[in-house]
Amino acid sequence: MTASSIPSGIPGANFLDPRVLARIDNLELLARTVVEGFINGLHHSPYLGLSVDFAEHRAYMPGDDIRRIDWRLWARTDRFYVKQFEADTNANFSLLLDVSRSMDFGSRGITKLDYGRYLAACLAYFSRRQQDRVGLVTFDSGVVDLVPTSAKHLDIVLHTIDRVRPGSRGTLAQPLLRIAEAFQRRSILALISDFYEEPQAALEAVNLLRAKGNDLIVFHLLDPAELDFPFDQPANFQDLESEQRIPVVPEQLKARYRELVATHLRELARLFGENRIDYAFFDISQPLDYALFHYLSNRERLARVK
Amino acid sequence: MGLSLLAPLFLAVGVVSLAIPLLVHLIHRERSETIAFPSLMFLQRIPYRSVRRQKIRHWVLFLLRCLALVLLAAAFSRPFLARGGGAAAGVSGARELVVLLDQSYSMGYRDHWQRALAAARRAVEEMGNGDRGTVVLFADEAHAVNQATADRASLLAAIDSARVSSGGTKYTPALKLARKILEDSPLPRRAVVLITDFQRVGWTPDEAARLPNGTALTRVDLSDARTSNVAVTGVSFQRDFPAGRERVLVSARLTNQGTDGVRGLAVALDLNGREIQSRSVDLSPRSAMNVTFAPFPLPEGTSRGTVRAAPDQLPADNVFHFTLTQGQAVSVLVVEPTGGATDRSLYLRRALAVGDRPAFRSDVQRALDLVRGDLEGRSVVILDDVGTPSAETARNLAQYVSGGGGLLVLLGERSAATAFAPDANALLPVRIGSVVDRATISGGKLTQTDFSHPAFELFSAPRSGDFSAARFFRYRRLEMRDTTTEPQPRPAVLARFDDGNVALVERRHGKGTVLVWASTLDTYWNDLALQPVYVPFVHELVKHTAGYVEAAPWFTVGQAVDLGGPKTERGELIGVAPSGRRTVLPAGTTSRVLAVSEQGFYEVRPPGGRAEEARTIAVNLDLAESDLTPLDPAEFAAAVEPRAGAAAPSGVETPLAPEERERRQAVWWYLLVAAFLLLAGETVVSNRLSEKGASG
Repeated sequence: MTASSIPSGIPGANFLDPRVLARIDNLELLARTVVEGFINGLHHSPYLGLSVDFAEHRAYMPGDDIRRIDWRLWARTDRFYVKQFEADTNANFSLLLDVSRSMDFGSRGITKLDYGRYLAACLAYFSRRQQDRVGLVTFDSGVVDLVPTSAKHLDIVLHTIDRVRPGSRGTLAQPLLRIAEAFQRRSILALISDFYEEPQAALEAVNLLRAKGNDLIVFHLLDPAELDFPFDQPANFQDLESEQRIPVVPEQLKARYRELVATHLRELARLFGENRIDYAFFDISQPLDYALFHYLSNRERLARVK
Repeated sequence: MGLSLLAPLFLAVGVVSLAIPLLVHLIHRERSETIAFPSLMFLQRIPYRSVRRQKIRHWVLFLLRCLALVLLAAAFSRPFLARGGGAAAGVSGARELVVLLDQSYSMGYRDHWQRALAAARRAVEEMGNGDRGTVVLFADEAHAVNQATADRASLLAAIDSARVSSGGTKYTPALKLARKILEDSPLPRRAVVLITDFQRVGWTPDEAARLPNGTALTRVDLSDARTSNVAVTGVSFQRDFPAGRERVLVSARLTNQGTDGVRGLAVALDLNGREIQSRSVDLSPRSAMNVTFAPFPLPEGTSRGTVRAAPDQLPADNVFHFTLTQGQAVSVLVVEPTGGATDRSLYLRRALAVGDRPAFRSDVQRALDLVRGDLEGRSVVILDDVGTPSAETARNLAQYVSGGGGLLVLLGERSAATAFAPDANALLPVRIGSVVDRATISGGKLTQTDFSHPAFELFSAPRSGDFSAARFFRYRRLEMRDTTTEPQPRPAVLARFDDGNVALVERRHGKGTVLVWASTLDTYWNDLALQPVYVPFVHELVKHTAGYVEAAPWFTVGQAVDLGGPKTERGELIGVAPSGRRTVLPAGTTSRVLAVSEQGFYEVRPPGGRAEEARTIAVNLDLAESDLTPLDPAEFAAAVEPRAGAAAPSGVETPLAPEERERRQAVWWYLLVAAFLLLAGETVVSNRLSEKGASG
């Protein structure tokens, strides 16, 4: 997918092709590239709020809270300035990355797992810039790696993400149960997976996390080939996880497959929506900026609600 | 009516090719690639299609495609209906078929005869129900083997019984006979199948040979572009008599009328069935040469000789038969007057000593010494200016002539009427009169001669002999007697002098002949002996008097041999052909003719006669047939086929060669169109099924 096919209307989006990012080995540099570029492109930062960390002054505008006027500066300059502080959530932010074998699939030069790794790195880097405590859990049918949330764990998180390799057959219920048990504090959880589960089963698994009071953002990654099923010639299709083979005549079932996938996506979106779980579907041919923008928009909404 | 294929291999290959798509499918299925996919969760929910893929889902499509392939293969195999084929004409009707089968001996060349028989059988086997057929065999003549019949078995039997004959090719009789058969036929369709090697020598354009209107002519041409044929075209003989024994030198003429040369050709001379000499010769293409054998003594009686060249592609004309007979010299007894000059008959004897066809063996006898025994074995007795001194001599002579002897009476000074005894009057056809003296410078001339008579026939052609140059100074007047009361035929005057006096007269007496010449045959009374015509005249005169008939050493097939010579018995005769076929020649007929039609030796003898009494006749082929040069088919067709504008009536079907039949029927075209229509239908059906599958 090219940049021109990316949905428009995203203000200030500086889209980066995931395939270009894939050439950058250093995940930190990668995350910085994405995040800094993204932030610099924004006209208005909706994320500045109350914080102990002074950010800047700005001229008083009618309507501003007069309690935020810096009187000392007025005394020296005889002008009204308003103090602005960096937002400070101090939230626990954990990334839950599915590393099951089915994630190791990509038809456009990048696999879902790679995309998930870049996405996780970017989210970790960005969250850390917000002073969040960052943690990471990778899982397939069980928990593979677990990095507890900490303000100092960004490097560990990035390093762990860098070492991620495709695992074995994956499920959601078992590892998420263990993760729910492991997290004692309320956290913001970003779950990155391809969700090859029945929608209801996926919801039940995810609800285990929500039951602990965690905020949950679900990133659903799929390759374009999984959506469009662009195959023409009859072939044997082998399941990456179970290694089961079945002969398939694509032209006979392409339409039906697309219909089933679309139904699956609609059902997931509906179920997560009804359970107040933020659900975001990503075609991995889309730029990472888009994923970030979606995440940050959601965070702003959560902040305002609070 | 059967379906035949010009190229059956195409159909076989086409049918076999039907298996190719299936084979490709199976191979392709086995080699299908494996695609790794994240999860088969959704694919497994879809009803399993791969099994169905291995089965035929659309039988209609499958059948359409197979049928289209079969039709394509069938079209390329060029099918046609073996019989009938009148579909193009669209009219049916019984057909009168005439199969003209050339049986001339040139059909023995290579495998022409076998191919001809096969073509004839094929023509008969292609007859439809209601068709009638006639088999006509022809060479020099044509004859229908059977009446027109629908019975194919009898027609095939007639074909099987046909053999190559010894005759040459003549197309006109065969075409005329075919024309007659077709014109007499009530059937609506007419067809002629002409099976021959189309020799040019056999064709003479004749409007009467044109086939009737509406006749379809099929020509089965068996001619070859390149030919190789050596023929023995004739022999010649040269006789001599060294040490009193007759020897013959035989020369044979060989021709090579083929387009290829021949080297080391063996040529043999057989005599009475045994090879006595052989030669080896080389012959260039289109050339001729003579082969001379060494002289050999001739056995007694009639010998059968054969010159035989080594067999080639046409062996029939490599053999040449002839007969040789010893002792054909004419025995002449010249009776001179007693006491006369010893060289009186010198001119006559010298003239008789010349030549060998026939040879004359002459003896001289004094008149008074003549006894009965001197006449035995003589062909001719010449009374050279001699009368019959005694009654006994006259009776002996009359008996001799009645028994078949020849008597030539030459008149002169001593042969007045009184010189002949009264008993001789019955023998002489005339009364001998006084001497006519033409003692002038020019003398008398021989002016009126009967050139139709054998004695003068040789001189009938212009510049073939001038009797007017001879001067006759004296001759005796010959007075015709009244012979109406006598049983013998009337005398015939063969020549007269310029004054109207009879010069030569002839009369049959019993089985013999008596001729009276009014002058001498020496230089006493005329100078005929000094003229160029003298020797041939004496020869012809003596030959005729002797009743000599030169036995032809051979005849040619198709000739009629006249067996009724002057001395031939008029009883019943039986002719036996080389094949053993007998021909009875009844007694009492004045002219008995044996038509020879086979190559080889014929025997003619009286019933129950001994072999020694048999006359042998050698018969050879007409060697014009050896020239295998073919005729221009277009020229032949233009002269024989019905004229333009008189096309075959509707419904007339032409029995054609398979290629021509296939070309006219053009079944392949219909098959091809049907195949394309099927493929178009297959496309429509396939599209609809695809749309239905996509929407379902």
